[in-house]
Amino acid sequence: MRIQLMIPCLVEDCLPEIGLAAVSVLERLGCAVDHPQGQTCCGQMAFKTGDVAGARAQALHSLEIFADTGAVVCPSGSCTKMLRTYPQLFEPGTRDHARAVELAGRVSEFCEFVLALPGAPDFGGELKARAALHRSCQLDGSDAPQRLLSAVRGLTLLEPERPERCCGFGGLFSLQFPAVSESLLEDKASELLALDPDLLVSAEPSCLMNISGYLSRNGRMTGPGRALHVAQVLDLALNGALTGGALWS
Amino acid sequence: MVLTSTFTPRNFREQSERASHDATLRAVLDHATRYFMGKRGAALEAFADRDTHFARARSARLTALSRLPDLLEQLERSASAAGTKVHWAADAAEGRAIVTGIAKGCGAKVVVKGKSMVTEEIALNPALEATGAEVWETDLGEFIVQLAGEPPSHIIAPCIHKSRADVAALFREKLGLADLSDSASIPELTLLARRALREKFLAADLGVTGVNMAVAESGSVILVENEGNIRMSTTCPPVHVAVMSLEKVVATLEDAADLLRVLPRSATGQKMSSYVSVLTGPRRADELDGAREAHLVILDNGRSEVLADPVLREALLCFRCGACLNSCPVYQTIGGHAYGSVYSGPIGALLSSLLLPAEDTRDLPFGCTMCGACKKTCPLGIDHPNLMLRLRERVCAGKPHFIGAAHAFLASHPLAYRLAVGAARAVDPRLDLLPRLPGLPSGLASFVESRQPPGLKSSFSAQLRAGRKKQGGA
Repeated sequence: MRIQLMIPCLVEDCLPEIGLAAVSVLERLGCAVDHPQGQTCCGQMAFKTGDVAGARAQALHSLEIFADTGAVVCPSGSCTKMLRTYPQLFEPGTRDHARAVELAGRVSEFCEFVLALPGAPDFGGELKARAALHRSCQLDGSDAPQRLLSAVRGLTLLEPERPERCCGFGGLFSLQFPAVSESLLEDKASELLALDPDLLVSAEPSCLMNISGYLSRNGRMTGPGRALHVAQVLDLALNGALTGGALWS
Repeated sequence: MVLTSTFTPRNFREQSERASHDATLRAVLDHATRYFMGKRGAALEAFADRDTHFARARSARLTALSRLPDLLEQLERSASAAGTKVHWAADAAEGRAIVTGIAKGCGAKVVVKGKSMVTEEIALNPALEATGAEVWETDLGEFIVQLAGEPPSHIIAPCIHKSRADVAALFREKLGLADLSDSASIPELTLLARRALREKFLAADLGVTGVNMAVAESGSVILVENEGNIRMSTTCPPVHVAVMSLEKVVATLEDAADLLRVLPRSATGQKMSSYVSVLTGPRRADELDGAREAHLVILDNGRSEVLADPVLREALLCFRCGACLNSCPVYQTIGGHAYGSVYSGPIGALLSSLLLPAEDTRDLPFGCTMCGACKKTCPLGIDHPNLMLRLRERVCAGKPHFIGAAHAFLASHPLAYRLAVGAARAVDPRLDLLPRLPGLPSGLASFVESRQPPGLKSSFSAQLRAGRKKQGGA
């Protein structure tokens, strides 16, 4: 199956390891992965700060980039959600609205997509580790990460007391309300560390950046490679290696 | 906890930041919001056909909003026929004038009040006090915040921010109970408040309450409570005034019943509150109790304008169960006072933005991480994050935050985007200079101070290309 990979801007320039692991896993599971050139940002930042015109311009750009029909897969819940929001940026009845509806209908978050592949969820991967999962509110309650991780042999899936509680990032929120954001982050970090995990796992790159950046800064991240995207966990479990290397290494 | 008279929605950001540093406040809020969420979760677990009941409740509210003008006129007719005097108040000043006029008319010396957010909204207490009357809040939580000189900090739990010891200290000082110990139990404290309030009920000339729902077909006012103080406020004094914001009307008693199945469960985790009063007109000739004179004040105060907005009107579906507050991680961290207005939490940020002057509420819709916990919790299906986005759009009104604008420009111009990121990567790959760039929000410095940024690496695209080239070549 041929898929188009959508890479969040944060992953493209700051966390490329996540993208490389996603490619490795998808190829291992039999997908031919295209990475359409010219990708920038899904427009989420503009949309969430009230700049609908800016978001619309970015949406038009994405509509061009992913004009080819066929599945679009993205290793981020929030960017996936943004693509699914495109139709509301355009006037119903217009060509752009129709294109937005068409694209929204074929974009999948990475975990959801993998879970729908033949043979899911048990692809025969194995990894001996205690993994604490931050579900991320941006996945809208999807249980795909839990189902994929539960199927990895040797992996003990741990969930914090309030698994879906926000980690406090919220994009611009973390800059406008830094102390509130940090309070939420501290709550999240302590709940995760209380599980005594080997790995901190999330399917959302921005949450992962927020949580692991905080632990790293405060000397509570013992060793690189401890914070992983679900794609990286699967990469380790299936291929025995981190294709793109560890985050924060 | 600081006195809140200085709290304003204009200073929401500052107030939030300060509140999040208050460890005592956070501990109290954490305990209380978990308690409410726990009770609510258990009640909903045991609620057979929950989704059907939620849908019926939503439908009752949607019906009310879609037929609002007609229903309000019908309410006026049926309430008048039952002997209630109906008043219309366009704004807060008119609302205050009507109620103080009634108070003066009956020569009220002592006024008892049931818990009501709408009378907080129109700042009724100071206006009533200015007529020379004593005004007593009779809900335990409201009584506590009144003694403390503070506004309520939660829709259904006004003193949620106070610990038991805070309350003991307050009673010691304000009720002249020098011997009261900090370790006094909640039943002991409640009994002391009850003793103080009983005297007020018996002496009261006027009772003022809010309205949970007003039924258009019967002219009834429905009041939901647990303490019995509202029932006493509506039956002990000879005159009762109920104040409602206009969206509280429902079409039929059946619609009201649909809402009553959901409201207490969502608010406090109860199947039904201890008291539900359905008041239709004043005491009749053959009745032994009830007020001899009943008034209903229907307040607009900006809501008609909200109704005219096809998206934002959804906020008026709210029946004030308070569950979105308890579920919101931001509210759990900062409490109600930081919002600087009567309504707090997710629904409060929406209502205040809609009802108060725009220039005072610019920051409110931004104090949200878009996590959606509120939407998931709301039994009426209000999509708070979507409304928050709509308000952000309104605040931004074509003039986006410049970081956002710059980002948006670059993101729709891939070449410029690559050049900009490339330049940053060459100059400052670890992003150490980021917080010192001129013109960036000061929050960026705090962000980077507490979180190691991942830095700019060789891009995904470049690494993928290189890897594939190597593979192809091998």
